Amino acid sequence: MSTSASDTAAQGRVAMQQTRAFRRPSRETLIRWAPLLVLIALVVVFTAINPAFLSLRNFGRIAIASTPALMVAIGVTFIIVMGSIDLSMEGTIAVCACVFAYFFLSWGGTLLSTAWVAIPLTLLLGAVLGLLNGLVHVLLRIPSFMASLAMGFVGIGLAILITRGEKFLIEDEVFRGLVTYRVLGFPIMVYLALAALVVAWFIQSYTRLGRNFYAVGGGEELAHASGLDVRRVRVMGFMLAGVFYALAALFAVGRLGVAESVSGANFMFVSITSVVVGGVALWGGIGGVWNALVGVLIVNVINNGMVVIGLPDFLQDGVLGFLVIVAVVLSTDRRSVSFVK
Amino acid sequence: MTFETIKPHLPWITLLALVAVVGVMNDNFLRPANLLGMAAEIVPLFIMALGLTFVIYIGSIDLSAQSMANMITVIASVYLVTLGPWVALLCAVAGFGLGMLSGYVTTRLLVPSFISTLAVGGVAFSLAQWLSGQRALYMDAAQRNETFGWMIGTTASIPNELLIALALLLIALFVERRTTLGRALKAVGAGELAATASGLNVARVKMLAFAISGMLAALAGLLFAVKLSGGAPTIANGFLLPAIVAVLVGGTPLTGGVGGVVNTAIGVLIVAVIRSSMVYFGIDATQQQMVFGLVLIAAIALTIDRAKLRTVK
Repeated sequence: MSTSASDTAAQGRVAMQQTRAFRRPSRETLIRWAPLLVLIALVVVFTAINPAFLSLRNFGRIAIASTPALMVAIGVTFIIVMGSIDLSMEGTIAVCACVFAYFFLSWGGTLLSTAWVAIPLTLLLGAVLGLLNGLVHVLLRIPSFMASLAMGFVGIGLAILITRGEKFLIEDEVFRGLVTYRVLGFPIMVYLALAALVVAWFIQSYTRLGRNFYAVGGGEELAHASGLDVRRVRVMGFMLAGVFYALAALFAVGRLGVAESVSGANFMFVSITSVVVGGVALWGGIGGVWNALVGVLIVNVINNGMVVIGLPDFLQDGVLGFLVIVAVVLSTDRRSVSFVK
Repeated sequence: MTFETIKPHLPWITLLALVAVVGVMNDNFLRPANLLGMAAEIVPLFIMALGLTFVIYIGSIDLSAQSMANMITVIASVYLVTLGPWVALLCAVAGFGLGMLSGYVTTRLLVPSFISTLAVGGVAFSLAQWLSGQRALYMDAAQRNETFGWMIGTTASIPNELLIALALLLIALFVERRTTLGRALKAVGAGELAATASGLNVARVKMLAFAISGMLAALAGLLFAVKLSGGAPTIANGFLLPAIVAVLVGGTPLTGGVGGVVNTAIGVLIVAVIRSSMVYFGIDATQQQMVFGLVLIAAIALTIDRAKLRTVK
């Protein structure tokens, strides 16, 4: 009697769980698609308020603003997937931008001369800075957020040392063609950024390094026990991020035509916000470069949309701060986290 | 004698060694007037670092301190006209409240503190820009002198700022050593899970630590605004790095649990000596970031308690 009663109760519970699962998509599905839905909703809302938002011209503007930020966001995505964080991007971008401009100008000042060598040189420099960052974090065993924050400050100082407070102006028409020459309404640099995104996606999904990022992020001790050289993966991750920061520096210089010690300003807050809002979990192992793309678009659509519908631009940082908290709260599995620092 | 036995004494040894080295190289350095001036100059930074100590002591971090001070310089400049001396209370309450918000987001919503404080810092920056209309603001000189002139005067040739710093240090020391909150902070810093298991309301203790940090960052901003007789949304930029450096070189590690406000006082003096010697050796003020960034890495590497970190993320 008592068994059958408990059986019935158990059946009832199972049935209830099934209907609930049917009515409500699972937590994972929701988290996976929520950022995209938010992006679409934002576009719809801004368009409803001001139809001028939904024009090729305005989308071009959003795309240009998003391009350098997307490179930074992709770089930091690899790090966050590992469960670490990188706050050094402002320094790395500033150094890369200034070094690039310095050599570009002193080697001819136009892409059609030997000055093009400055581009691969800058990418190499980004890798070296990322390598240093990773080594400080791994060899000295310092938490990555502090190691990278400190290295970021060093980078900004270095950039001031290089520029001596001056600005480098890049007026080469071929290089500025990145932003001035348009195909189908969008400047070339937008297509180059999309190509970089595809490369990043390839690294993430089809290379051993990319899979190792997820192994480390999913469970570092397990990854270590399986024979993975976790320290090496971490350093490689920071190096890869450095290359993408260097790309961001090139696009930022191309976009504004200026390289200075504040070229990297505000990239930290915006890129971390983008990645987290895009659905990459701070705990590691979840999300990827497509989330970074959606996140960057959300942030830039908000920035652009607020201007288009006539809200003051100083609200942006506050709105982004609020968004990032909401995103982290939504992506945190509260059962698995006992406390946070 | 191993490194571990001299480690707790490193901060003041470093300070004495630095003072000796700089004193030998620069005759002017050890004159009392120079030392007092140098100490008074660093007081706003000290107040901010004092607040940060509480947050770092429990193993968290507050990256909003600088934005908080920025916002307070604006609030102080805007509302001095209407509120008079009560503006100080408004600043303290605003700092306490925003700090509490960081604490709430960290402890109840389980957002890591470096993200939650970064986000709250963004909110503070927006508020500052909104209040200031994105301009630099100036206080009415006469009104400032009448209301807050005592903050920047001198008593028996000792700058009042130093007396304020001393008073705040003593209050903070009292809270740390002689109150249940202080003991609770120590328990949380030493081991959060053990503190929870002992029945301590850890979330409340941590929220209070963030609130204290916010309030002291606000007071730092207020004093800075009075010194400069004005405010702007980015005026205190450049405070955060040396403030964190001061706490860490003082001997409160990022992992928390040891150190405290006295250590921070020593740490701030180390920062002050490094700063003034850099000026003496002709290192440009803008270059200080680089030096402090490197000092920060060295300080963390030396002080951090790796036994507490199961994996270094």
